[in-house]
Amino acid sequence: MDRNQIGKWLKNPGKMANKYSFHVVYFCTGCGIIEVPPSITTRWDAERFGIIPVATPRQANLFLITGYVSTKTLAAIIRTYEQMPEPKYTVAFGSCPINGGMYYDSYNTITSLDKYIPVDGYIAGCMPRPEAIFIGVTHLWKLIDMDKADGYKRYREDYVHYRANQEQILGELDWPPLFSKENL
Amino acid sequence: MSLELLLIIAFSGAFLTYLSGKISSQLRDGVAVLISLGLVAIVSFLYNVQTETVFYQGFFGISLILRMNSLAWFFAIAIVSFTALCIIYSLSYMKDCERSNYYYFMMLLINASMLTIVLAGDLVTFFVAWEIMSWSTFLLISYNRNGALQAGIKYIVLSLIGSMCMLVGILSIYTSFGTVNIADVANHLTPSSVGYKLFLLIIFSITFGIKNAIMPLHTWLPDAYAESPSPFSAVLSGMLTRMGVFGFLLIMYVIVGMKTTLHLGRGFLSFNTILCWLGAITIVIPTFIAMLQNDAKKLLAWHGIGQGGYMIVGIAFGTSLGAAGGIFHTLNHATYIVLLFLSVGAIEYSTNGLRDLNSLGGLFKKMPIAFFGGLLGISGLIGVPLTNGFVSKWLIYKTLILGNAPFLAFAALLGTWGTVLSVYKFLHNLFLGQLPEEHKEIKKAPLTMQIPIVILSFTIILFGILPGLPLKVINSIIVAAGFQALDINIWGVTSETGTLNMLNIFAAIAVFGAIFWGIFKVARKSTPVDQYDNYAAGAAVPKNKYHYTVEYYAPFYRMGKPFLKDIFDMFYNRIAEAIGSICDSVRKIYTGYVGSYVMYIVLFIASLIFVQLTWSIF
Amino acid sequence: MNIIALFVSPLIALIAGMFFLGLSRKISARIQWRYGPPIYQPVIDVIRSFSQKSITHGKFFDFGIILSLSSSFVLILFLPIGKLCALTSGGLIAFLYLMLMGPFGIALSGAAAANPNSSIGISRKFLLALAYEVPLLLVLLTVMTHYHTISLVEIVNIQANSGWAFGSWALILPGIAYLLILPAILGMRPFEVVGAAQEISSGPIAEFGGKHLAFYTLQHALHVFVGIALFVDIFLGGWTFFGLLNPLAGTVWAVIFGIIIFLLKMTLVLFIGLFVNAVYPRFRIEQAMQYLWKWPTLISFVGLIIVVLTK
Repeated sequence: MDRNQIGKWLKNPGKMANKYSFHVVYFCTGCGIIEVPPSITTRWDAERFGIIPVATPRQANLFLITGYVSTKTLAAIIRTYEQMPEPKYTVAFGSCPINGGMYYDSYNTITSLDKYIPVDGYIAGCMPRPEAIFIGVTHLWKLIDMDKADGYKRYREDYVHYRANQEQILGELDWPPLFSKENL
Repeated sequence: MSLELLLIIAFSGAFLTYLSGKISSQLRDGVAVLISLGLVAIVSFLYNVQTETVFYQGFFGISLILRMNSLAWFFAIAIVSFTALCIIYSLSYMKDCERSNYYYFMMLLINASMLTIVLAGDLVTFFVAWEIMSWSTFLLISYNRNGALQAGIKYIVLSLIGSMCMLVGILSIYTSFGTVNIADVANHLTPSSVGYKLFLLIIFSITFGIKNAIMPLHTWLPDAYAESPSPFSAVLSGMLTRMGVFGFLLIMYVIVGMKTTLHLGRGFLSFNTILCWLGAITIVIPTFIAMLQNDAKKLLAWHGIGQGGYMIVGIAFGTSLGAAGGIFHTLNHATYIVLLFLSVGAIEYSTNGLRDLNSLGGLFKKMPIAFFGGLLGISGLIGVPLTNGFVSKWLIYKTLILGNAPFLAFAALLGTWGTVLSVYKFLHNLFLGQLPEEHKEIKKAPLTMQIPIVILSFTIILFGILPGLPLKVINSIIVAAGFQALDINIWGVTSETGTLNMLNIFAAIAVFGAIFWGIFKVARKSTPVDQYDNYAAGAAVPKNKYHYTVEYYAPFYRMGKPFLKDIFDMFYNRIAEAIGSICDSVRKIYTGYVGSYVMYIVLFIASLIFVQLTWSIF
Repeated sequence: MNIIALFVSPLIALIAGMFFLGLSRKISARIQWRYGPPIYQPVIDVIRSFSQKSITHGKFFDFGIILSLSSSFVLILFLPIGKLCALTSGGLIAFLYLMLMGPFGIALSGAAAANPNSSIGISRKFLLALAYEVPLLLVLLTVMTHYHTISLVEIVNIQANSGWAFGSWALILPGIAYLLILPAILGMRPFEVVGAAQEISSGPIAEFGGKHLAFYTLQHALHVFVGIALFVDIFLGGWTFFGLLNPLAGTVWAVIFGIIIFLLKMTLVLFIGLFVNAVYPRFRIEQAMQYLWKWPTLISFVGLIIVVLTK
């Protein structure tokens, strides 16, 4: 952990603070959420890395999607993701958001989350244990250090593409586009 | 400029307005504004003038007198200024209303009569003007008919009881001393007995207590405020009700005299202590009842009662700080309550008469001027520092705490904290929160409605930062009443027991505000979003499905509703019903048949004979 | 002296307030057998918030939070921190009113966001404020009546001569009442009804992100500081410590050690609050109001009557 290196803080305080203050929106879909309570409470204590759950996406910078995503949930996920302030990171948890997992042929479950919102990292497994969350977080730190956790930038650049994908599966969306021509 | 001319202009202006309204409405508007602004100009020229003139000699041998001093000037300038602002406001508010000639006529007549009350140098002039004021007020309260008529009748009944009390007082003064000149009465009264002074104080207190809506006598007020047209509600709450405060000042400090009033009775059972406690009750209970109201104007009306309590406590406590605080609070209360009524009026105008707190919301983007008026108004009402309400409340609190009356101080402070809740509800439910879809395209309030709101907002801040301006005049009033002079600076009050300096509070807030505003600007720019782009657990915020301003303090309603009833109102209504039914049964005597009347006569004669035979009286 | 206080006391308050926020997280973690975040974690959070791109619901949304933060700083100027007190005008009454402005600004800002959760949170905040203001006003009036002054600085100075208010027989009941309502003032459990994260998604600040959230965190830190500092000033004698500083009287060291003693006392009071906070569940708002209007009010009322009768 480079949390205590003053030089890095002075060089880029925003990036360092983003690394060590993950305020997380847990999207409690599917079975993955059962791994989260132990990870934030006494046994594994995520708070020592500055990771705490928050109640609203406005205050968060990490979006943790824990498990399969049904098409109905997808609308809520997109809405929540769009409400998070930039910079924001998404981590998908378990194998279902990667390729559908055991729901690969389900009629109402999406198979690849990355088509609809940009995902910065996956934690594979069915289910991954809490330790895997921490390994995932350390990987995310590395990505942030190398400026490779750029999901929110991709979302902005390819918004038309993402929006088209979203509309393809959800039909007409009942909220206006996040990026119009003016604020791109 | 003589005082007679002032009153002639005021009264003839009212008639002139009515007559010109017969010709054209534009002309009438022009005349009304001209007259009201002219009165402001004339009264402001009379600053620091001390005169006394006899304007009519032969009224049953009583000479009628007008006089000008600092107390009269203070109230006069407030009356004419606030009425002028409300007249300007009315130009567009009353544009499409029928009977608007009559409205302007009454408005100016009330203005003139209030002016006469404060300038009156004898009790007969005072009484006559008081009656003109009461009756024309009744006519304007019931302007909207229907429910308003009921409110008007409630008002006039209580007002008549008050007037009759005053008449008894004046007649008793005249029979005792043979004069009604206020200055002479004060001289004659000094050697008279304590009991007589107490009688006068009590009988006049009923009159002025009804007008100022002190707690058991307040029942006319909420309906009257809510039902009258908004600009008139403003005048009614701002100045007309406060004629009661003027009356209290007159009877306590001028007629009976300050030193006597403060030493009537012993310990707790003295006149001014009891009045203080009535004031304290008047502060607390209406403030909590206000929390339950759903009608914007009724909410303000209950606050009008509650704030009246502060003035009474300040005046009745009888220290220089308290008296100055009470008088200053009268002015301050007028500024912000007028502002609030005008803001509500602007909403009424824009939404076609809607003022229900449960169906409005989110108007702050549509009506910014009215919103800032409302914001500053409620800040003044709470007494947020930098508004004028803070200064007067500070004076009152300080004198109560240092005068060893912590329970009175507790009532006053508790009233403020209750005020915070209900006025926040007022602001939130009208201006903040979600804007309903049907109000997306509302018409803006016109310029003539915005100007008074802007002027009053500015006044609130000005008197909040430089309270020395009005306090200088108030200081001369309390010195004339026999109090010790306060050490007034332009920025506040100096004393050994605690200085108030608004200018350095203002500087501190301005500097910190500027710093953080700067930081805010330098930080990353934020994206503006729509009101429906809101976090609701990933779901969409419903449009018009529900309104989350309804039952704003629901837990408190559940707890408090059984206890917060207007017992006095119910009691008076019971009495009114009882009198009604008695009169009803009396009416049944007149059956209309000749036979029954013959029977009454026979019965009467029979009883006479019976009496004569048994006791042989005749 | 006043000029120095003008610059130093906001800094002290801000640093101490952030330290207290960090400390409270650390202590809670240790009570729950966790390692806990570093003590400067709130600072990291604030920097993170500032670096994020927030959203705004219009100009008034911004105005409310700026008003709230700046008036909280003004409040600090009126508070004797050790021997430092920049402004004294208006005394405790002005202080009480300024205390109101911080929550009021947040309420305006939160309501401008048009979020249902914010509205519920604000209504709870005001109800809770009404509930704890009743005993608080009684407590402060008792103190002001007993010492016959409305100036905070003077209250501290009297205690320097005659001993702490908490130790005197007349003011022990108000002191206990203040301790009972302290969690409500600080918004800690069992009175954490306002920012109830689990049910109304952190209430008034539900729409705050980015710099708005950073400002809120700073304001919250100051609020915690003021709530505890007021107790220390009024009941624990501010900078005094049994005549320890008497040999240094008049020197700069007295001021510096005064501040240190003041902050140590504050930490002690914070610990009491944290122990309650860590183990208690949350009241419902009605329960909170009923509790606050029952015991603390009764105790402080008896205290006021005793002071009035013995005067």
